[in-house]
Amino acid sequence: MINNMPILSINLMAIVKIFVILALSIYVIFSLVVIKQVKLMTETVEIGTEWLMKIVSYIHFLFAVAVLIFAIIIL
Amino acid sequence: MPDIFISDNGEKKEKIKVKEKPAKDKEEKISPFSYSIKQTTKDNPFASFIFRPNHIDFEIKDEEEKVILFLRKHPITNIKWAVIALILVTAPILVGSFPIFSFLPKNYHFIAILGWYLLTLSYIIQNFLSWYYQIQLVTDERIVDIDFYNLIYKEVSDCNIDKIQDVKYSMGGVIRTIFNFGDLMIQTASEVPNFKFEAIPDPNKVAKILQDLREEEQQEALEGRVR
Repeated sequence: MINNMPILSINLMAIVKIFVILALSIYVIFSLVVIKQVKLMTETVEIGTEWLMKIVSYIHFLFAVAVLIFAIIIL
Repeated sequence: MPDIFISDNGEKKEKIKVKEKPAKDKEEKISPFSYSIKQTTKDNPFASFIFRPNHIDFEIKDEEEKVILFLRKHPITNIKWAVIALILVTAPILVGSFPIFSFLPKNYHFIAILGWYLLTLSYIIQNFLSWYYQIQLVTDERIVDIDFYNLIYKEVSDCNIDKIQDVKYSMGGVIRTIFNFGDLMIQTASEVPNFKFEAIPDPNKVAKILQDLREEEQQEALEGRVR
């Protein structure tokens, strides 16, 4: 187990935590890009399901933010 | 006296016949080209082939312009990424039964699973949106090709019907033959020399409609009509 190595484990897990939070932060930015892109797509063509696509993109963004907050709390 | 009466009747009959003819001509003008495709009363937003859609609009559409055809890739083309998505969704459950990540602390393990599902979700959203918004439209005046590549690149190109020079379609392979979809290539005299409608359902019907529209445009040009 990594946790059994006292001095090394603290540094290693801290680095892993930073990387995980950094990756999740980038993902949150990506989900914002998805929201923007869906908005652009719905403006380009109106098919009749614009509301559904927007809801999906917002749920995706909220899920990404929730995972990021959760990671900050529990890691 | 009776003879005069009879001759009047004959004239009346002729007059009625003359009046009937223009009414028929007008009817023909309303529907200048006949298609063997049924128009749907309600548009299915997930359909790949909609003839004369009622509620579809696009940003560069003119007020008087009417959309005749709405096209996107056949739904069967989504099978590949749908199967991959299914594998990605079930992977943590399958991997969970093997102690591969047992060296990780429980909280990291949990976040890794959540991260995995985030990536899976992004994969599904990206593929679905690419299919859903990659659209080809045929209006009474032009063809419009709307493409979104990888969520960050958008390309909208259009070409007037009268600029179309050549239309050809191809259907090859077992799946394409079974599900009746193929590629349609349109050669034009506009800035965009080639339009390719990929994996669209019933390419033969689309080619026929384009041919009819071209004939209609030529007729309009001969008669000097604008629309």
